[in-house]
Amino acid sequence: MTLEMFATVALNGLTVAALYFIVAIGFSLIFGLMRTVNMAHGTLFLVGAYAGVAVFYPLYDQGFSYAWIVALAAGIAGAAVFGVLLQVTLLGWMQGQELRQTLVTIGISIIAADQLLAIFGGNSQQFFPPDALFGSVSVPLVQTGHYSTFRLFQIAVAAAVGVGLWLILHKTKLGIIVRAGVDDRAMLSACGVNVALVSVLVFAIGAALAGLAGVVGGTAQPFGQEKDVQFLLTSLVVVIVGGMGSLPGTALGALLVGMAEQFGQSLFPTYSVMFTLLLMVIVLAIRPQGLLGKRLT
Amino acid sequence: MLSVRDLRVSFGHAEILQGVSLDVGDEPFAVAGRNGMGKTTLCYAIMGMVPVQSGGVVFDGASIEGKSPTRVSRSGIAIVPQGRRVFPSLTVDEHLRLVSRGKNAAWSIERVYDTFPRLAERKGNGGSQLSGGEQQMLAISRALLLNPKLIIMDEPSEGLAPVLVDHLIEVLKKLANEKIGLLLVEQNLRVATSVASNVAIMLSGRIAATVPASQLSADEALQRRYLGVSTGSH
Repeated sequence: MTLEMFATVALNGLTVAALYFIVAIGFSLIFGLMRTVNMAHGTLFLVGAYAGVAVFYPLYDQGFSYAWIVALAAGIAGAAVFGVLLQVTLLGWMQGQELRQTLVTIGISIIAADQLLAIFGGNSQQFFPPDALFGSVSVPLVQTGHYSTFRLFQIAVAAAVGVGLWLILHKTKLGIIVRAGVDDRAMLSACGVNVALVSVLVFAIGAALAGLAGVVGGTAQPFGQEKDVQFLLTSLVVVIVGGMGSLPGTALGALLVGMAEQFGQSLFPTYSVMFTLLLMVIVLAIRPQGLLGKRLT
Repeated sequence: MLSVRDLRVSFGHAEILQGVSLDVGDEPFAVAGRNGMGKTTLCYAIMGMVPVQSGGVVFDGASIEGKSPTRVSRSGIAIVPQGRRVFPSLTVDEHLRLVSRGKNAAWSIERVYDTFPRLAERKGNGGSQLSGGEQQMLAISRALLLNPKLIIMDEPSEGLAPVLVDHLIEVLKKLANEKIGLLLVEQNLRVATSVASNVAIMLSGRIAATVPASQLSADEALQRRYLGVSTGSH
């Protein structure tokens, strides 16, 4: 493997990891506070992406230059609203009943996938990024000397999401409440905090991030109906590798999964699928709580 | 202040509370009893942290049984649970900010640090890095900052060194002088009888007897019969 190829594959891995991080951190937050294994998290990604599609093309066809920004806002808002409805109407009523919540979210994802297919059809779609993020920029070391501007932007978005969430969790009252809830939900409630309301808020943030990833990911690469399952599985692998409910763990998990996937594809194309799963198996065997996860009691 | 009537709690087929009735007035009230008699379940049942099968809990004239812990807490009851249950991920200061009701409340963060200087020294330490005594101070402070009318304390002396138990007794007596109601669940009879005026003795999910603290500390036969301990053994 030449140095140029190594640098290119590593950068590909980093950009893929950035997207995986944005999706998985929402999944991880929701699990951390509510112990809900949200099997509809991939659906939230898809709902965000299609909410973006619904507003993007009409605006883009009219030559509206901020179409992508509006699509991004619509994707975030669409997924957040869907997530809040899911928590308020269904999951909030079965707090603590993990198996029931898991089955309900699987059911929702199947129903939602069919509805999205009926409304938006089965063709794959893609957003066009705004002019400032279009094309490529000069990057030393990589093959051809150029790299997609938007994929670099994707890394910046993930970094901003990570830093923003860290600041919320460690510098705000909401963050104190969320971390206390991850530790001991019942005791937090006995301190007079309305944990049900906090749960809705955290679900909204996690869902909004999935929606953000939907539009960002749908700009970097075309997306279709199958992406919900793909991103759900990736989120699961990322948080299992990194540690459920941990922000640094999710970042590390996303990085490892992204790199394993990209290096696997370039070195052993035939067996590339195995690499991410192999990574998960090794982590589960050595450190079942995830690399940076807390030991489960 | 707090009136519990015929409270029943079951887990599966096991009836843990088999009709508990008690009244807590302005004076500190203690519940004593051996392990497994249902004392902790009683605390959690009043607080809304375990589901109640039947019976009533009236606090300050309002019925609170079956309410969520959030609602019970907001009605003016705070809990210092068994094992403290401080939040391992939060620092001492974050614990206090979580529950603080502002500078003008009777109990403010400043007042907590004045009362427990040790906590001020450990401000930036995480909940899991504290000693048992420090965790207990933190758990009591967390309850006080909610400015409750009544505090339920479950085994506050558990795991504390004798010198810290003396300190705890002083703190609890001060609270009583501040007109904060106290329901104290204690196996340590010395703590229970020096703080409370009346002690209820729990036996197999029921209140077997309620006696004045002075009578209980004097009557070793009574202690042996219900508690299987004497004041000297703790």
